Amino acid sequence: MIITDGAQPRLARGCRFGADDTLLVPEGVLRLKGTGAEILKRCDGTRTLGEIVGEMREQFVGMVESDVEEFLRKLNERGVVEW
Amino acid sequence: MTDKPLALIAELTHRCPLRCVYCSNPLELAGRKQELSTAEWVSIFEQAAAMGIMHAHFTGGEPLLRDDVVELVSAARKSGLYVNLITSGVGLSEGKLSKLVHAGLDHIQLSFQDFDEEAAAEISGVRVLAKKREAARLIRQTNLAFTVNLVVHRKNLDRLEELIAFAEGLGPQRIEIANVQYYGWAMENRSSLLPTREQVERSVEVLNRRKLAPHKNIAIDFVTPDYYGKYPKPCMGGWGRRLMLIDPAGRAMPCHAAAVIPNITFDNVRDKQLRWMWAESAAFQMFRGTEWMQEPCKTCPKQEHDFGGCRCQALLLAGDASAADPVCTLSNKRPLVDSVLQITNAVKESPPPHLPRTLPLIYRSNPS
Ligand code: SF4
Ligand code: SF4
Repeated sequence: MIITDGAQPRLARGCRFGADDTLLVPEGVLRLKGTGAEILKRCDGTRTLGEIVGEMREQFVGMVESDVEEFLRKLNERGVVEW
Repeated sequence: MTDKPLALIAELTHRCPLRCVYCSNPLELAGRKQELSTAEWVSIFEQAAAMGIMHAHFTGGEPLLRDDVVELVSAARKSGLYVNLITSGVGLSEGKLSKLVHAGLDHIQLSFQDFDEEAAAEISGVRVLAKKREAARLIRQTNLAFTVNLVVHRKNLDRLEELIAFAEGLGPQRIEIANVQYYGWAMENRSSLLPTREQVERSVEVLNRRKLAPHKNIAIDFVTPDYYGKYPKPCMGGWGRRLMLIDPAGRAMPCHAAAVIPNITFDNVRDKQLRWMWAESAAFQMFRGTEWMQEPCKTCPKQEHDFGGCRCQALLLAGDASAADPVCTLSNKRPLVDSVLQITNAVKESPPPHLPRTLPLIYRSNPS
């Protein structure tokens, strides 16, 4: 699914954070690496994609918009993130 | 890899309002008096979470028949587990559901036999379709992640497209369509339930077509029938590798059918800690890894992929739990599977679902 700048991504139903940077989903567990966890923590349904990208670029040098988009699109295909 | 299981399967009870002919529960069901107490289950959840287990799947029987099910969901969730409830939906009132949600339930799986009352009742032995539909309606009103389970077999596989449309209409995020696995009660009814090759081929086409048109935001998982495969599935993700099941009486088992294996003894949560049973108990060691294998598995490059398939199937079909799963085409016991398929496929037409059937079905009984 295409994600626009104004989209407000959030975790899909049945997905929540577990201990040690894990994401618990109905079928199992995703281990989040590095910036992945940081992006997902910002997917609270109120921040827009634009805002998330802004925050990420501030915190992580070299982070580009397409990295965030690509990551969210992939998780959307797996049914983990919606907007 | 085997330092801890990923998930705990909590068979809270063998009691059930349904009597499904494909039930995978053992023929010898645990009675109410043998069931673990609330405190015993709470301790299991705490031990499981402390071991690093992430998911708890509440199943049975019908877990809602436990009077303490809300308390147990709450305890499991408080321990840090992700809680999934697998239910027939019978006994799921609005009040009960809202209590379960507040207790922290993460996900619910609701099973359906069919969209047609008569066809469903023929399989489950009771008329409960209206109750199930109502359960689906109630679930949809909550924020719970919702999966619809459909078990398919010879009597309904011809209507797979309609079954999928029905399941979609119930409003889940996910649909799981599973072919019957032949253990427990299902094995007793195999000659009535095993689909024909033509049915299986058509069902695969139906699913492939749907994959090409993912118009709806509903994911479909499909469990293919073992007997028509070339190689077995990695049963339970490998023996003692990913899953730990606790049965209603507290026995710790690597899979729900394992009790059919002769000379196997299960330790009980009443005497032993989960961590010890996972690491040390004879039952979990028995077929763990690849050491126990015979040829052709012993030297097969797929041994780390499917772990030789299902031990219970090997026992039930070949009479030897340490043989290769006989559905494997590399096994010298594969002819046993082929002869079953031959009989199934010699019956050209599968009987239409609404006509009286020729073979009597054996319904699951209920423990006292
Ligand atoms: S398969 Fe049917 S009889 Fe067996 S536990 Fe599930 S609902 Fe009950
Ligand atoms: S021979 Fe054994 S390990 Fe190899 S594919 Fe068959 S069952 Fe699996």
